Amino acid sequence: MRSATEPTRKSPRAARFQMGLERWNRKLHYYAGLFLLFFMWLFAVTGLVLNHPTWSFAESWTKRTDTNSERAITALGPELRGDLAQAREIMRQLGIEGEILWTTTRSNADLFEFQVRRPGHYYFIKADLARNRVTLRHSEVNLWGVIKVLHVFSGASLDDPRQSRDWALTTVWAYSMDAVAAGLIFMVLSSLYMWWELPQKRLLGAVILGLGSLICGLFCIGLRWLF
Amino acid sequence: MRGRFYRLIRDLHLYLGLFISPFVLVFAISVFFLVHTWLPKIAPETSNTRVVSALPLPGDLQTLSGRALIDALKPALEKADVHGEVGFLQHLVKEEKLIIPVTVPGRQTIVTISTASREATIVTRETGLADAMATLHRSPGEHAPAIRMNWFYMQEWRWLADTTAYLILFISVSGIYLWYVLRAERRVGFVLLFAGALSFFGLAYALSH
Repeated sequence: MRSATEPTRKSPRAARFQMGLERWNRKLHYYAGLFLLFFMWLFAVTGLVLNHPTWSFAESWTKRTDTNSERAITALGPELRGDLAQAREIMRQLGIEGEILWTTTRSNADLFEFQVRRPGHYYFIKADLARNRVTLRHSEVNLWGVIKVLHVFSGASLDDPRQSRDWALTTVWAYSMDAVAAGLIFMVLSSLYMWWELPQKRLLGAVILGLGSLICGLFCIGLRWLF
Repeated sequence: MRGRFYRLIRDLHLYLGLFISPFVLVFAISVFFLVHTWLPKIAPETSNTRVVSALPLPGDLQTLSGRALIDALKPALEKADVHGEVGFLQHLVKEEKLIIPVTVPGRQTIVTISTASREATIVTRETGLADAMATLHRSPGEHAPAIRMNWFYMQEWRWLADTTAYLILFISVSGIYLWYVLRAERRVGFVLLFAGALSFFGLAYALSH
């Protein structure tokens, strides 16, 4: 029987497994980083821009171009029940695609107002269903406007339960954001493993990781205890 | 010289990465909460209500708005022992009421002050860790820059959020260098880089055109 002080020796199989794990962990860290590179750059740059709305070079809304028009639509049939079905039919007739945004509560059955958004494009739609006419304002923003919207384009909002995803591409983008987040979590965990496998860097790394965790923990949990 | 540069970049990549890794985890995990409007609760949400009177309200309350109003209300909030980032406040002149939302990550407080009686009803809701992470992810955000960051700790958070973004950019660029040095990994790396670029630009194009 081995004593408690005797150094542990790995079996060749275990050693081979660990080597394989280290090798693949390193490889997958590179691979995930390279695949997600442009997504990471997008979210990092737009994160900065969204945190600094006063940065004038990234201003998009005041530099937008507006187009106003009035269009006739064919009457909506009785089979189109509910706001979503009616909005979709109006969008189909106008040739608009995007995520529907409910902004007002409908008080008059003949007047129907909603917005449609997609990165770079904002459509403000006012439909008079009695006259079968639609007033449409289309605002187009610059590249900064496109990438800022990509950062937040999930089709849902924690603050407004009425909003839900209703465009297939929003769903695709939302799951892409999930994939980027999952990839980042994997990269963090794989980097922790790689660091731990470097005994000479453990101490300084632990101090730095501890400092980061302490500061981050202060904001996530600590502030509630302090105040 | 080249070896020293490589070691410097490798060490910076490692140590700066370790420093920001908790922040990256907060931003990445909260993506799921924000995208799917889902806030898991470890403990049930708690709420309590209390009343505080004789609040020191500014004399020129009617003339103030925006950041000036928030700053003027700070002594009243201090006396009511309410700390945190003040959000969009409502001044109901006819009802002689001020409704002030105050947020600490993981806690939301609504302070309703009667300007006539100088009395406040304070409702505090403990919303938990997931909400704290979602709040931090969205702070400071793009809206109302004139009133945002009115609490010292949120000003510091903006600095940390910016640092995280800058360091992600540095770490990704240094990561490209560290990968490129490994000749054996170049081919697969280029394929993945290209596949990632194709996915990213393809999606961005489909969404915006």
